[in-house]
Amino acid sequence: MVSTLVSIVLAATFCFVIWIVATHDYQWKAIAPYWGNLFSGWWMTLLISVASLIFSVVIGIMLTAGQLSGHRIPSFLCRVFVEIIRGTPLLTQILIGYYLIADAIGWDSRFGVGLVILSCFSGAYLSEIFRGGIESIPKSQWLSARAIGFTGSQTYRYVVIPQAIRRVLPGSAGQFANLIKDSSLLFVISVHEFTMQAREANANTYATFEAYLPLIVGYFLLTFPVSLLSRHLENRFRYEH
Amino acid sequence: MSIEIRDLSKHYGTTRAIDGVSLILDDSVQVLALIGPSGGGKSTFLRLLGGLEIPTSGSIRIDDTELPKSEKGIMDFRRRNGFLFQSFNLFPHLTALENIVLPLVEVHRRTRDAAIARAHEVVERFGMSAHLGKMPAELSGGQQQRIALARAMAHEPALLLLDEPTSALDPEMKAEVLEVIAELCQAGQRIVLSTHEMGFARGTADEVVFLANGRLVESGTGGSLFGNPQTEVVRSFLGKVMKW
Repeated sequence: MVSTLVSIVLAATFCFVIWIVATHDYQWKAIAPYWGNLFSGWWMTLLISVASLIFSVVIGIMLTAGQLSGHRIPSFLCRVFVEIIRGTPLLTQILIGYYLIADAIGWDSRFGVGLVILSCFSGAYLSEIFRGGIESIPKSQWLSARAIGFTGSQTYRYVVIPQAIRRVLPGSAGQFANLIKDSSLLFVISVHEFTMQAREANANTYATFEAYLPLIVGYFLLTFPVSLLSRHLENRFRYEH
Repeated sequence: MSIEIRDLSKHYGTTRAIDGVSLILDDSVQVLALIGPSGGGKSTFLRLLGGLEIPTSGSIRIDDTELPKSEKGIMDFRRRNGFLFQSFNLFPHLTALENIVLPLVEVHRRTRDAAIARAHEVVERFGMSAHLGKMPAELSGGQQQRIALARAMAHEPALLLLDEPTSALDPEMKAEVLEVIAELCQAGQRIVLSTHEMGFARGTADEVVFLANGRLVESGTGGSLFGNPQTEVVRSFLGKVMKW
């Protein structure tokens, strides 16, 4: 009953939105000179997303390991890092990171600084997802592993991580999609990514929808494969029947 | 098994799970049963004996060797033993076979082929051969416990420690697991078991220890402890649990 109602509402809303968007009178010619820029922006977004996705996983794992290490100081420092990164706007992190910190150490690569900040930002979120996954493994599993005579690292390797992976996949995929979209904020330090190119096309032509609609397609082409891959992996790591 | 326990205590914060227990057993005891009310210290005592916990104070000697008091030192002792808990012993992401093979390979350094051969051998004894390829979630509670028991037995443990192995099972499954344990007792396996199955404790154990509030209240052969309890605590406990 409820599901039928939800289906009808969703389908109707979807059709309405498509109809409105599709029947608008677009001036595609106006942005024709900017297709090249938009594509190079999309490519830049792809590059920076893939690179920071990889780095953010590494940072996330390190932050999780630090927090769960059982050593007070590393654990505390990782906790502080995660809380500050998660509790402050990405926009300000990018501004301070580039104009203050990178400037102070004489590093002038917009791409490089953007990559580092984005990776730290996403890594902090991932570490919380990873930590939650590891802490959700029941005490009985740790006890069993101990009773068998596993060392701490064997317990993580053979018992905890294989079970935690499946639990952290959906959350991680969501975070990766966020990461791809968050990369658009790098426009504040003039990284010529996808959104920045659309803003420029809009500023020069006033063809707002024509400049921004490609973003929908472009970002979806990046986030959807992440979602598909996550589902595929969830099935691969499924062990309950 | 020769066991010499002197003034053994284990505290968790302000809780005295085991509070000054002493016990001496000689070689004639092959099966030791721990009975008593829940929360009385059976589990903790069993874990201390198996090297899964380190005592707060006191000492344990098994076969004339004192158990080490450091986490590192006790690991080797622990690895020689086998444990079975109430439930959720198995790793849910591994098949029954892999559950048995993994510790043989990673802890006991057997080759994979030897480990697989050994797993088949133990499981056959427990009537579980047909289930080796299954995931734990596909097995009944009794079958899971039998696979877990096979895992605990596969490396031929010096001491097998069973912590209320049938408490989470329905009567039929209880029977099938107790049968396997009884067979192990007959085969000469050294066993320490905590249980609420009084009939089973009486029938299989050479020595029965009654623990309550972390203290050893009474110990003796099954016949003497069940037939002629010396203390009021044990009498009233047995009176209650045997009534129905």
